Amino acid sequence: MTIMQSGGSRGPSPSGLADVIETILDKGLVIDAYVRVSLVGIEVLTIDARVVIASVDTYLRFAEAVNRLDISQEKQGLPGLVGEMQESGARHKTKGMLDGATDKLKDFANGERERQGARRGGREVN
Amino acid sequence: MSASTKEKSRPDTGQRTGVYVYGIVPGDVELNSVVHGVGNPPGEIRLVRSGDLAALVSQVDITKPLGTPEDLHAHEEILDATVIDAPVLPSRFGAVLTSDEAVANELLDANHDEFAAALQQLEGRVEYIVRGRYTEQAVLEEILSGNSRAARLADRIRGADPDATRELRIQLGEIVNNTVADKRQADTRLLVSAMKDHCAASVVRTATNELDAVYAAFLIEDDRVGELERVVTDLSDRWQGRVELTVRGPMAPYDFVGNPTEAGG
Repeated sequence: MTIMQSGGSRGPSPSGLADVIETILDKGLVIDAYVRVSLVGIEVLTIDARVVIASVDTYLRFAEAVNRLDISQEKQGLPGLVGEMQESGARHKTKGMLDGATDKLKDFANGERERQGARRGGREVN
Repeated sequence: MSASTKEKSRPDTGQRTGVYVYGIVPGDVELNSVVHGVGNPPGEIRLVRSGDLAALVSQVDITKPLGTPEDLHAHEEILDATVIDAPVLPSRFGAVLTSDEAVANELLDANHDEFAAALQQLEGRVEYIVRGRYTEQAVLEEILSGNSRAARLADRIRGADPDATRELRIQLGEIVNNTVADKRQADTRLLVSAMKDHCAASVVRTATNELDAVYAAFLIEDDRVGELERVVTDLSDRWQGRVELTVRGPMAPYDFVGNPTEAGG
C-alpha cells in the first residue's frame, strides 16, 4: 500500500491518511494500560507512512535536488525575480490554508457535528 | 511503504464480537444521530455510561482485521466531531474490550478519578496541529549560501557522472539533511515560543518528512483559536517563500493524554 505524504506542492490537506495515521496510531490514550483482563486481541493492519529520514537515500535525494537547483538557476538567469514570484505564490497558498481551517471550523459549527459525533445533552441551548 | 500485522493475545473464548472503544467523555454527553464507526460492516456508535463518565463504543467483529483507511478515518472523525461539544480522552486506534460491562467496570470505574480529572482539565480545550514544510528550493539556497563546504561539494557534483560522485553526493546530502534538522529545531523553537502565551500546552511532534520545518500540537481554549491564527499568519509572513504552514483542527487532544508529563495545565 502506498501512502502519499501531503507534500508542500499539493496544498492544504486537512486530514490526509498519513496525518490520520500519525495521530491515531501513535497518540491517544493507551487503553491496554488501563484494562488488562477484558482486552480482546484484534488484528490491526498498520501502515508505516513515515519517511525514514537521515538515510543514504535521503542524502542522495537532497544532493540531486541541489544539482537540479544549480541547473535551473543557470537556465533562468533571473533568480531574484523567480524568488520574488515564488514568495508571493507561497503567501497566497498559506492564506488559503488558513481560510480552509476557518471554514472547517464553521462547517462543524453549522451542523456537521450533528451528523458525526456525540454532543453534550445537558448543555444544548436550542 | 511497509504493511505490518500485529496481534495481541486473544483469549480463547469463542467470542466473535467485541466492544471497540473510541474514547472517554463526560457522562452527560448524548448521541444525537446514528453514526457509524469502524469495522465492515461498520458498527453503530453507542455510549456505555458509568456514573459521571461514558465511553464512545461500537460493536466489532473481532475475527476480521481493522485498519482500512475507512476505519482510520472513522475513528478520528468521531473523536474530532465530539471534541467540538465536549471534552474527550481519545483512545489510540485498536482498543477492543470483551463487553459493555468490562468497559463500565474495568475501564471507567477502575480508573474513574484519573479520567474525571483529565476530562476536567481538557474542558473547553481543543487540539490544533501546526505543520510547516520547507520550500525545497528556498531552503537549499539558504544552506548553500550559508555553508561553504556544501557549496564546494555542489560545484563538484554539478554535471558530473552520478555514479562517480556518489560519495560526494552522500556527503553533500548529509550536510543538507543535518542543516535542515538544525533549522527545524530552531524554527520549531520559534513557533512554540510564539505560541507560549496563547495555548494551555504544547507538544513537539517528531518530524516524519525530511522537509518538515515545524510539527507541533497545541492545546488551545476554543475561544482563543483566533490567537493561533494570528501567530501562524505572522510566521507565514516572516517565512514567506521559505516555509509553507498548514493548520489542522480542531481535533481531539490526542497529544495531550496518556502521558501525564506531556499534558500541561
